Amino acid sequence: MSEWLNTVLSRAQSVDDWLSPKREQSLALLRDAKWPNRKTEAWKYTPLRAVENAQFAAPADVEAAVTAIAGLESIDLVFINGRFAAEQSTANLPQGLHITQLADVSEADKTWALQAFAAIKPSRHLFGLVNDALATEGVIIDVAASAKITAPVRIVNQLSENAEAHNRVLVRVAQQASLTVVEQTIGDAYSFNTAFAEYDIADDASLEHYRFALQTDKAMSVGGSHFQLANRSQLNSTLVGFGSSLSRLDVDVTHGGEHAFAKLNAIYLLDGEELFDLHSTIEHAQPHGTTEENVRGIVGDSATAVFNGRIHIHRDAQKTLAELNNRNLLMSNKAVINTKPELEIYADDVRCAHGATIAEIDKKALYYMQSRGVDRAQAQVMLNFGFINELVDQMPNAALAEWLRPQLRQRFAKMEVN
Amino acid sequence: MTEEINRALAREYEAGFVSDIESETFAPGLNEDVIRRISAMKKEPEWMLEWRLKAYASWLEMEEPDWAHVQYPKIDFQAISYYSAPKSLADRPKSLDDVDPELLATYEKLGIPLLEQQMLAGVAVDVVYDSVSVITTFREKLAESGVIFCPISEAIQEYPELVKKYLGSVVPQKDNYFAALNCAVFTDGSFVYIPKGTRCPMELSTYFRINEMNTGQFERTLIIADEGSHVSYLEGCTAPQRDENQLHAAVVELVCLDDAEIKYSTVQNWYPGDEEGKGGIYNFVTKRGVCHKNAKISWTQVETGSAVTWKYPSCILRGDNSVGEFYSVALTRGMQQADTGTKMIHLGKNTKSTIISKGISAGRSNNSYRGLVRMNPGAEGARNFTQCDSLLIGDKCGAHTFPYVESRNPTAIVEHEATTSKVSDDQMFLCQQRGLDAEKAVSMIVNGFCKEVFKELPMEFAVEAGKLLEISLEGSVG
Repeated sequence: MSEWLNTVLSRAQSVDDWLSPKREQSLALLRDAKWPNRKTEAWKYTPLRAVENAQFAAPADVEAAVTAIAGLESIDLVFINGRFAAEQSTANLPQGLHITQLADVSEADKTWALQAFAAIKPSRHLFGLVNDALATEGVIIDVAASAKITAPVRIVNQLSENAEAHNRVLVRVAQQASLTVVEQTIGDAYSFNTAFAEYDIADDASLEHYRFALQTDKAMSVGGSHFQLANRSQLNSTLVGFGSSLSRLDVDVTHGGEHAFAKLNAIYLLDGEELFDLHSTIEHAQPHGTTEENVRGIVGDSATAVFNGRIHIHRDAQKTLAELNNRNLLMSNKAVINTKPELEIYADDVRCAHGATIAEIDKKALYYMQSRGVDRAQAQVMLNFGFINELVDQMPNAALAEWLRPQLRQRFAKMEVN
Repeated sequence: MTEEINRALAREYEAGFVSDIESETFAPGLNEDVIRRISAMKKEPEWMLEWRLKAYASWLEMEEPDWAHVQYPKIDFQAISYYSAPKSLADRPKSLDDVDPELLATYEKLGIPLLEQQMLAGVAVDVVYDSVSVITTFREKLAESGVIFCPISEAIQEYPELVKKYLGSVVPQKDNYFAALNCAVFTDGSFVYIPKGTRCPMELSTYFRINEMNTGQFERTLIIADEGSHVSYLEGCTAPQRDENQLHAAVVELVCLDDAEIKYSTVQNWYPGDEEGKGGIYNFVTKRGVCHKNAKISWTQVETGSAVTWKYPSCILRGDNSVGEFYSVALTRGMQQADTGTKMIHLGKNTKSTIISKGISAGRSNNSYRGLVRMNPGAEGARNFTQCDSLLIGDKCGAHTFPYVESRNPTAIVEHEATTSKVSDDQMFLCQQRGLDAEKAVSMIVNGFCKEVFKELPMEFAVEAGKLLEISLEGSVG
């Protein structure tokens, strides 16, 4: 048994708030849970030794300034080492948008929030359970029916040296409303965080979602974004991961209503000895759903990328269209890519396809560019950038795309072709 | 239409007769003594017994795997009889004339062209009935070109050096739960050795049948293709209709030395159980081949039988420029469950593998493809192409794909694609509009769906496979 998990269990005992009914359930599951190892399917390629017996300091009050994203007029919610930093967060909210700290939730909201916490995130995520047990800070974001919130809500988790933090976010987008959410985790120092966000998207509502897991180096992060889609609702999500000593993201999308649409783009760029593990699960529980998932990665040096993309079509989900595509570039002979696209289908009148490819950068293209006077390193950056930029171009928010591109370029410049 | 579907789906298993042949069977149960008795019955040398006991010891410490997408009640390994031999074989027949006429009638009933047709077809057959090898035809003719084709029990006595060197070299005793069990209790199987530079003059064939009640069949096949040789091997299986489940845990090992080629084809039609999922064979098989330099192994399988299938014919592409192929059609109906696929382990430079898998699910069955493609750091310039297509017939079945792709070499190229669809209304309409009835149309469409695999089968098998599919599918049109 993991010593760290033992401390989680004992720490959780002392917490008592309105989330306790859910906490108790998760704790019961955690007590029976086994610490994952190589034989645990969900953690087959991602070792957890660094967390298993780790000890982290209690989150201290740290002064840290969170930089804004240039060109993005966002509504910021800042958490520093897991604690809400009111002075860095936006106080004025547009009409139709309500944001409440977990500690301040009204009696009326507690009921639906508890229901949502029980319904959206699957209980199979070990660290999701840990998050249930320990997260006392976080927010509930509620968008009123038909409200179109144009300013993106940006949730920033900033971690500093030796910190351990657990946050949770619950988002409800009511009927016909729309919202944009940006989840961002910052801080490359040795730390550990679990950040889980759960989204309840009602009939005809739409959500534009971004998650930037751009921590690198020694930072360790395990988190997830989980979406529940009702009738005719729309989700457009973009994930970008850089990989660190441990970076794991779980994305679950449940088509709980008919005619829902989900578009999922994910990018990972890994260098050094980084690891990035993306697990996505798309549950088509109702008919006429559509899912388009595109995942692209570039893995250099001795980095390891793990992708597990599961599409599950339930018995009733007739007329589903689901496609998943995973393309990878392997840049070095010490780099590793493990990919597993899965289909599990129980309905016959559906069209499902998945594909996965792994290859190196096209030598001919590289040669062609060199023959035109572009030096090798630059040609490689251009080709890599082109491969990834197709997905960046699809980001609906231009300001975010502009902010992201130079960071990607910088990464590519560091990677070397063999 | 629904009636038609039901009628077709309720179709009886055509090979489900029981042959009334006197046989000698061990009482059910498994312990060291049983293994000693098997070994003694087979007059095996001491080293073989020790090999078995070692496997048994490791089996005792292993756990039954539960990762496959199949469900079945726990197997009681003590309720199985580990040896059953047709009695009249105490003194082995020298020629076909000596074979029990009842047995021959069985084959006839199965439509096995063991006699004239067979000779015309030039196929040498080794028949494994329950646990022992009954007869091997054409041995002398094969011996002329130096090919050894005999029951493995005989090979252990006559060619101990070859067996010692290669048995367990591809599938070691501790490989997996069912392989370990097989190592401990296997009773017979085929042994093939093709000498250097020899092209086996005819296609070799083994036919397996489980006849006795409560018996399991644990056969073991070992094929060694020496440098520059070539062999094509065919395997067929059936079992009678019984209410209880029977276990079939075979191991097949292929050793393909430099520049050699082995083509291994299987048509598996074990009893699948009845409509309610009662009875049927548990087919838990380990098949693996190792390819040395420039060698090629090609697995082709048509899986239509068994209640539960757990089978992953694999290739270890050890030598540079070696090639692995896997062509599979798996059809499930009724309550059948199949979890099948392949593993391609690329170790050598410029190794190539192709995987074409076609899954067809009907009734309330579940059909899964599970595969692994691994590019090791040394697999410079290696290439893999994988295509898995699933076809669903009816809305109560399931089709699943679980491919694992692991790459550690940037120059290796891996491509995987999978699709799932149903027999489209457009296709059906087109066929019917041209005057084909619904049944024929489905059969034609499914045959077309499987064509890529069927064309890899040897002639006789391709015909048999096509027929088998047609029988299984008749009328299951929605």
